[in-house]
Amino acid sequence: MGASGRYLVAVSRGLDAEALSEVRAIHGSGVHMVECEGLQAIVCDVDLDEFGEEPLRGNLENLAWVEEMARAHHAAVCAVDAVATTVPMRFATIYESDDRVAEQLRVLRDPLTEALDRVEGASEWSVKAYAAPEPPEPADRPRAESGVAYLAQRREAVEARRRRESDDEEALSAFHHELARLAVASRRLQLQDPRLSGRQEPMRMNAAYLVAHHAAERFSDCATTALTGRPDLRAEVDGPWPPYSFAALELS
Amino acid sequence: MTQSPMETRSSAPAYGGVGRPQPQGLADILERILDKGIVIAGDIRVNLLEIELLTVKIRLLVVSVDKAQEMGIDWWRNDPMLNSSAEQLAEENRELRARVEQLESGGTDGKG
Repeated sequence: MGASGRYLVAVSRGLDAEALSEVRAIHGSGVHMVECEGLQAIVCDVDLDEFGEEPLRGNLENLAWVEEMARAHHAAVCAVDAVATTVPMRFATIYESDDRVAEQLRVLRDPLTEALDRVEGASEWSVKAYAAPEPPEPADRPRAESGVAYLAQRREAVEARRRRESDDEEALSAFHHELARLAVASRRLQLQDPRLSGRQEPMRMNAAYLVAHHAAERFSDCATTALTGRPDLRAEVDGPWPPYSFAALELS
Repeated sequence: MTQSPMETRSSAPAYGGVGRPQPQGLADILERILDKGIVIAGDIRVNLLEIELLTVKIRLLVVSVDKAQEMGIDWWRNDPMLNSSAEQLAEENRELRARVEQLESGGTDGKG
């Protein structure tokens, strides 16, 4: 075993150290707390033979490794988020010592406090919308009589598809605004590539909402029902998540 | 009314309704922990931006298809860049091009 580093999972406040006894992070290790300026960093020890710069670069090429660590990171964030106001850190934020972690808390006290203020009493909800797969071209359509007719046929198909997409966008924009009204904050995220989502239906909306705990049920109901008038669109709601999408630092 | 495209997947909820996806999937987790969350410089400096999600996934594919399927990731099946439908597309392209040429040169397709 080589030298060890401190892997920073999340920053919290108002956390009772006892509540951390069951939290497991990287490789199932326990976590401890580094406190400074009223902020609490949740950290676990990692082996720098695995998480040092060189080995880390190599390990990030190994998806099985990334998966295991990503799930461990996420599980630890969720466990901490369940018991205190928490802002998650990006994957693989590593320091040499507890002192260095404390120093960061001191330097970043104001923006970290603002980030915690923003997410207090709320959770992230993910809403994605998918369109039904493209209808197949009718097999019995007459073949075009001429090159011009053929091209017109193709153009009409492209037009129809464009109209469908624009209709979808209008409906989803209204859907998003309706959901955003129930949320503290909202963000439309990049549509996931079908290769990432693993879905064959085209994704039309990918959004994250920061929703107050007391409004969660209303939010979820709205997300569930607001698209029922559009049988060709389907919404999927997932949550609550720790507030990953709303935990950016505003550095002055 | 045409048949619902979702009817072939009995476990999937109907369109117009809402589906609860399976427990948080790897793709959703990676999207968030690699791309979101608080970003501050650690003492260990590795630029995660160099590790694009997609790159990661393509590497996954190269490294282990079985592993990916185990994890429920099978997007490459529908990816024209990565599977045999690329050949179908290329073939369709060739046919279309030939047909346009034929029509533009005033020829017929043998039926007219």
